[in-house]
Amino acid sequence: MKFPGTCIVCKKKIEINEIGLWAKGIGVKHQACADEVELKCLVCGGPAGCPQCEFSADCDLTKVSQLCICKNCNESKDAFNFYQKAVAKKFPILNLKI
Amino acid sequence: MINLMWSEKYRPKNLLDMIGNEEAKESIVNWLGKWMKGSKPVLLVGPPGIGKTTLATICAKQFGYDLIGLNASDIRNKQRIQEILGPVLGNASVLGKPMIFVDEVDGIHGRADYGGVETLIDILKEPTVPIVLAANNDKSDKMKSIKKVTKTIQMRPIPPRLLRLYLEAILKKEGESLSLGTTVKLILQSRGDIRSMLNSAQALVTGFEPTMEKSFVTMDIEESVNTFFKAKSTEEARAILFSLRIDPREKIDAFYSSVISSPLAKEDMQKMLEIISEADMIYGKIMRTQEWRLLKYLDSILVGLFKEGTPVRYSQFNLPWPIINRLRWDGRAIKGIISILSKKMHVSRSDFATFYFPYVLFCMKNKILDLGLDQSTNEIMQKEMAILK
Repeated sequence: MKFPGTCIVCKKKIEINEIGLWAKGIGVKHQACADEVELKCLVCGGPAGCPQCEFSADCDLTKVSQLCICKNCNESKDAFNFYQKAVAKKFPILNLKI
Repeated sequence: MINLMWSEKYRPKNLLDMIGNEEAKESIVNWLGKWMKGSKPVLLVGPPGIGKTTLATICAKQFGYDLIGLNASDIRNKQRIQEILGPVLGNASVLGKPMIFVDEVDGIHGRADYGGVETLIDILKEPTVPIVLAANNDKSDKMKSIKKVTKTIQMRPIPPRLLRLYLEAILKKEGESLSLGTTVKLILQSRGDIRSMLNSAQALVTGFEPTMEKSFVTMDIEESVNTFFKAKSTEEARAILFSLRIDPREKIDAFYSSVISSPLAKEDMQKMLEIISEADMIYGKIMRTQEWRLLKYLDSILVGLFKEGTPVRYSQFNLPWPIINRLRWDGRAIKGIISILSKKMHVSRSDFATFYFPYVLFCMKNKILDLGLDQSTNEIMQKEMAILK
C-alpha cells in the first residue's frame, strides 16, 4: 500500500507497504480478508459457516444481505424465535412500540 | 372455510416479523423517525419480493402515517401526478399524516411518460410529506436523476438459509412439513422472492403431490391447464392455479381458448364462460383502477371452472382445430383462385369474392364450368360447394 487505509471487511488498519486490494468507489481490504468472504450469524455473532452451508453453491455472498444464521443456531428448537429476539437485541430501533 | 394465501396470512405485521436486510430497515426507521419537512425522500432499491412494499407499509403504520400508495402507471404524466399528489402535498395538515409510497419508479421511462419523471423530481426536491420510492433497479439514466434527490437504501436478496428458517417457521405454524430436498428446491426456485416461495409451499402442502423430478412449479401453461382439469379435487386444482404464475391476461385467455374449443355440453359451456367472464371483469377492474390487491381473487374465481371429469384440454386457439385448419390452408388456396380469377374478370378481389365467387361455385357444381384445377384444390372447392345453399 502506498497510503494507509481501513479494511472494509475487518475494519482494521492497513499500513503502508502492507498488501491490500483496492477498488475505486469500494475501498480497500486485506488480501486475507478478500479470500474469506463469509456471512455473520445474527444470533450468536460468529461466522455463519458459509463453506459448509447446504446453499453454498447458490448463495452469492457478495450480493445477499450480510447477516444470516449458522447451522448450530438454525438447528435449535425455536430457531426463528431466537432469530427475532437477536434482531430485537442488536437492532433495538426495529422493535418499535408506537 | 376461506383458504387465505400464506403470503397474505403471514404478511409481516411489524419489523421483527421481516427477515433479512436489518441495516436497511434500521436506515429507513432512522430516516422516518427524524423526518421533518424538506428531508430527502427515500429510495428503496432491491429485487422483487423481498419486502420493499411491506417495509414501507409497516413503517407508515408504526409511525402513525396514512400511506398513499401509487405505482408507475399513476405517475405517467405531469397532469396525473398533479391530480393525485397536489391535494396531498398542498393540504398535508388537513389530511392528517399522509406518507407517499411510489412503487416501481424504475418502470417510468421513454417518451410515453410526458414529463412524469421531471414533475416527480420537482416534488422530491421539496417534499412536504415523507415520500418513499421503490425500484428493482437503479442503473438507468432516469434513476440517476431520481437518486440525486433521494437517499438510497439498498435492499439485498435474503440468504437462502434465512429463507429456509422463515419457511420452516411458517410450516410449523401450519402444522405441515416438507422434506429437506423439497424445501431446498422451493427456496432455490423462488430466487429470493419470499412471496413466490410461500405460494409454492402452500400449493405443495394443500394436497397436490407432484413427482419430485418435475414439480408443478416448473409446469408450462399447457401442462397446467391440462393438469387443472384432470385434478382429483378442488384443492388440487386450486394448487395448480396458484402455481401458474403468468400474466393474468394470459391466464384468462388460456382458459377461454381451452374451454371454447373443447367438446362440452351446452350447459357446462355456458357455466364456464360465465366464470371466465367474471374473471375477465375483475381483471378489467384491476386495470382500470390499478387496485392490484384484487388480483388475489382472480384464482378463486377461476377455480370455479374445475369439475371432475370435464373433457377440457389446453388449446392455444379459440376455435376448434378442424375449423382453424380450414381457415388457414383452404383459405389460402381459395384466396389464390380468387386472385387469379378477379384479374381475368377485371374486378377487385373483394368484389370477386363477394359477388362472383358464389356463381363460379354454382357453375362448377352444375358442371357448366371446369377450371382445370389440380386434385387438392378441387377437393377444397368441393367442400365449398357442399356448403352452398
